[in-house]
Amino acid sequence: MQVKEVVDHVTFIEVFTTAHGAIYQSDSESCWYIDFAGKLARFDYRCLLKLNKAINSIDIEQKLMDAQSPDMEIIFICACDDTYVLTLTQIIHFKELLQGTFVMLDLNQIIYNRIYRTAV
Amino acid sequence: MKDIIRIKSLLSTEIEEVLNQQIKKEAQSASIYLAMASWCDRNGFDNSADYFYKQSEEEREHQLKFFKYVLDMGGTAISPEVTNIKIEYNSFREVFEDALEQEVSVTESIKAIASRCYKEQDFVTLEFLNWFFKEQREEEYKARRALELFEVIGEEGTGRWEIDRHIPKISYSSEA
Repeated sequence: MQVKEVVDHVTFIEVFTTAHGAIYQSDSESCWYIDFAGKLARFDYRCLLKLNKAINSIDIEQKLMDAQSPDMEIIFICACDDTYVLTLTQIIHFKELLQGTFVMLDLNQIIYNRIYRTAV
Repeated sequence: MKDIIRIKSLLSTEIEEVLNQQIKKEAQSASIYLAMASWCDRNGFDNSADYFYKQSEEEREHQLKFFKYVLDMGGTAISPEVTNIKIEYNSFREVFEDALEQEVSVTESIKAIASRCYKEQDFVTLEFLNWFFKEQREEEYKARRALELFEVIGEEGTGRWEIDRHIPKISYSSEA
């Protein structure tokens, strides 16, 4: 409910969407909203980078091969408001979503550099 | 859509990571030199102990230079954990051999960062690294010169005492 109130006066720009989730950017708040695993969570610059690192450091193959390993992972990012409890399938989907997002953010940076920031 | 990532930081994630690795390497160097100072002090090589105390302080300064640069450019500088520092050496000469090896390793590591900067066209960080390249010329020269003393003076008789006496006199002055 609280998130909804905040979200009401924020303009979202879609960064990347998959069948399982979406990431939006808010220029006015300089942050991103992640719609994934049934919730909408707000991530600032540092937290998004930390989240990306945390998700990418999970060795999915190793977890699939290990019979003792639980099929769940708790993604807790220090100094962030949200925590995710994800299954391995969800982690794969989240990884895909984040990879796509960072490609789009890199592309956005290239466009900025080419169009606005370079004198030539 | 705003380019938030670039607005917040000049450094790419990869460059920030290698700079943090370098921060750790410099911290390790400072600790290694301190351990060398301890060994020299314990074994009666007071001048060499002072030399390594000074080297340790310099490495700490290098570490802080990297640390502050990462923070100033909008990145996250990580205070490193330093473990497994060697405390015993087999000989006086081995201390200086290890010191040179340490300096060579730092130079190579900074070269690898520069190579990464070229790849990403991060000329700002590259320019920042120039100071370290000049510094490494001096550091490697000093470490190499110290080892040279073992050759020219020799360790026999009062040789080691003589070497220890000459260690503080090692200096590097280059116009270039």
